[in-house]
Amino acid sequence: MDIDDILRQVDPVRHSVPPETRDLQGLTRLWVAERSAPELLEWPQDGLIDRVNSRVKAQIEKVEEMTGDMDPKTNFALIVIQTELERYKYLVRSYLRARIAKVDKHALHYLSSQELRRRLSPTEIAYATRHQALLHNHYLSSFLSSFPEKLQNLNDTSGNVSMIDSPDPNTTVFIRLLRDLDVQGMGTDDDIKLPSQNGDIVILRWSSAKPLVDDGDAELV
Amino acid sequence: MYGDMGNKLVHHAKRTQNLAHLPPYQAEIVRGVTREVRDLKKDVDELLEPFGDSQPTEPHISCTVMVNHLAIRRNKRCLLAYHRTRTDKLEELVWNGSDVVDLSGQQVRDTTGTSNGGAVGGVDATTSSLSPQEEEYVRQYSDLLAAYKGQWTDIDLTGSLEPPRDLFIDVRVLKDAGEIQTEYGAITLTKNSQFYVRQGDVERLITQGYLHKLG
Repeated sequence: MDIDDILRQVDPVRHSVPPETRDLQGLTRLWVAERSAPELLEWPQDGLIDRVNSRVKAQIEKVEEMTGDMDPKTNFALIVIQTELERYKYLVRSYLRARIAKVDKHALHYLSSQELRRRLSPTEIAYATRHQALLHNHYLSSFLSSFPEKLQNLNDTSGNVSMIDSPDPNTTVFIRLLRDLDVQGMGTDDDIKLPSQNGDIVILRWSSAKPLVDDGDAELV
Repeated sequence: MYGDMGNKLVHHAKRTQNLAHLPPYQAEIVRGVTREVRDLKKDVDELLEPFGDSQPTEPHISCTVMVNHLAIRRNKRCLLAYHRTRTDKLEELVWNGSDVVDLSGQQVRDTTGTSNGGAVGGVDATTSSLSPQEEEYVRQYSDLLAAYKGQWTDIDLTGSLEPPRDLFIDVRVLKDAGEIQTEYGAITLTKNSQFYVRQGDVERLITQGYLHKLG
């Protein structure tokens, strides 16, 4: 806790964090989490990305407006705004790319069930479906069409081998705890229970970490 | 031997993963593997024909059918793996903004460069390292990507994935790129000159290899 936190407790109105800052923090969190999680995380439902988009647009317009001005003072402000804009754009771009990379890798897996589909944004669903159709068509025209009909599918699960590849839930991740609790982890010989405190960073398997992250008890780093 | 050709494809795929460019499409092997699959299928059908809908009782027949069937599946996996590796590579190229036409052109230069003007008989077959199907795929994928990118016009999805550090960067011009317009006026990019410019203005030219970022 620092001085800002104390001030905020005393006077929550004047020292509350403006929504813009909160959105930026939210976006940064999402971005960090998405990049370190082995599977696709949920698309933010509260319109965060829309808000971010409209803000980027507004800043671009502002930049265009200010460009005409030759005053050195606005010129300096312009550079600051542009730098910030580039960074903001980078965050969004990197976030979207990280998601698309995961969707591409396991497209059939994410399209296979309703529950998993909900994690994607509508545009991502459209992209994944179309991409998968393209791939199937490509395979068909390249070689699959001369195969026996029964073997032309791409989502066969018979013969003990599923053709649908899914992300590995046992990849290791780093998480930072947001409150004191006992972390349950899988070990090679024995499962352990580790009493941990708020702010501790632990490394464990994604399958054990996921419930903690979902409940908001921890965040990915 | 069953599956030998499939194995060859997998080796090709493995090699492709570590190459910067895309090696020519192995149409001959792909055809060979599909032919093998068709033959195997025909064998299975002939073996099973006398039994109609009932299961064969002789162990030697069920065994042959089983082995043939597994070989077919294995071949299918090999073919899928080979094509998937190639399409992944192609998608990467599309994301990086390369052109299919560019790509084929580059292959032509490569082959003429290495053949030393000797045997030119095979040049026609190697003008493009892509199969016609793959070219079609790349075209469609570019469209798809463009459509997806269209939703994020302000962000420029295919832009650099390096976190931006400075707004302005030093660049050296590697190839003449003509004149470009920036908000501070026009600059003419002549070979071997050096400029201090806004990164956003020249990003495209850097990925296309006209400029080199310094520092």
